Amino acid sequence: MTDPDVHTLAGPYVLDALPAPERTRFEAHLKDCAFCRTEVDELREAAVKLATQVAAPPPPHLKANVMAAIDQVRQLPPQVWGEDAPAERRYSRRSVLALAAAAVAAATAGGVAIDQYRRRSEQTEANQRISAILAQPDARTVHGAVSGGGQATVVTSARANAAVVVLKDLPKLPAQRTWQLWMIDTSQQAHSIGLATGDETQVIDGNVTGKATFGLTIEPAGGSPSPTLPAAALIPLT
Amino acid sequence: MPDPIALPWPSRQGVVSVGDLLARTAAGDTAAFSALYDRVAPAVFGLVRRVLRNPAQSEEVTQEVMLDVWRTATRFNPERGSAHSWILTIAHRRAVDRVRSEQASADRTELAGARAVDVDFDQVADTVTTRLDVEQVRRCLGKLTELQRESVTLAYYNGYTYPEIAERLGAKLPTIKARMRDGLIRLRDCLDPAQGG
Repeated sequence: MTDPDVHTLAGPYVLDALPAPERTRFEAHLKDCAFCRTEVDELREAAVKLATQVAAPPPPHLKANVMAAIDQVRQLPPQVWGEDAPAERRYSRRSVLALAAAAVAAATAGGVAIDQYRRRSEQTEANQRISAILAQPDARTVHGAVSGGGQATVVTSARANAAVVVLKDLPKLPAQRTWQLWMIDTSQQAHSIGLATGDETQVIDGNVTGKATFGLTIEPAGGSPSPTLPAAALIPLT
Repeated sequence: MPDPIALPWPSRQGVVSVGDLLARTAAGDTAAFSALYDRVAPAVFGLVRRVLRNPAQSEEVTQEVMLDVWRTATRFNPERGSAHSWILTIAHRRAVDRVRSEQASADRTELAGARAVDVDFDQVADTVTTRLDVEQVRRCLGKLTELQRESVTLAYYNGYTYPEIAERLGAKLPTIKARMRDGLIRLRDCLDPAQGG
């Protein structure tokens, strides 16, 4: 606050023109400087007006993508103590993790059991394993539509060689059929990672590191040694 | 059940504001979010595309921005500015972060700041409101000094940092910082409030 220069930073800050280290420092300063906050808020209203000059309609399909995707994104609860950072300061990795966590939460909150045959303590353990995978620094989330309806979300961590698969709104299969999950490596070799009866969340241990694609197929009950094509979903993992 | 949402834009009268739509979005109202998307997506997409240039990346970032709006709508604080600015602030930050992390500086060498004021009217939702806003911003930008205008537009439309701009314009760092602030103050005073969120 004693540095006279700090107030001129409101300009470059509002224009997102501060290099990363200075941005961080100025944001720390903003917490203690009510005057600076007011100035930032005022200048920001002017800066965003510059966007009106370049407005352009997005391609129509984008809205469909966004509306489909919000289904997978849980909203933040209003006000969290100890978190006063405005939303615009969130970084993409946090968003990815939130998205993944949201997907898992949506699947479980939707009345879908992690594994309906497990006891409660085992479910808690499964939740802990899910959290551990989501917390990996290299955790990545991918989504894809399942042909015939529904969505698959896969969170992978190459480091942990583990993944979380969330299947949602899948079409119902006849009794003699099952969903089968695959991890496909770069040479197109498919490795079975499990079966699914319908909407569920699974933890996958192993067969994740180095895999290029997640696949979902419909197989005869009991599963197949190799996927029956065409796949219901193929989702690139990178 | 949410009320049916009036069509956005044309007349201001009886139209749900962006702020109201955001508030309803924060309550999990997907219909309100859909209407909000229609209202803000052209500004978001246009801005992101202006900064990033790359159409595919622009779509991706626009989608990220809109998902972030959905996810963090509950955190919007109306005391700190309009809903519209809040959304465009998220959009600008994301576009700039993306251009810095992924695009080679060669992609941004074109000195396009001053020319960034061109807009394709036919592509923008053709409404009186938009036209007036564009005219007004253009007029107000015209009241800035050359150095103020270049500092502001190179940062906002091209995503340059102030040291990059100082180097490009051959000016001292403190000068550019100060011109950005002076330019924005002049812009603010010229634009004045009087527009709803």
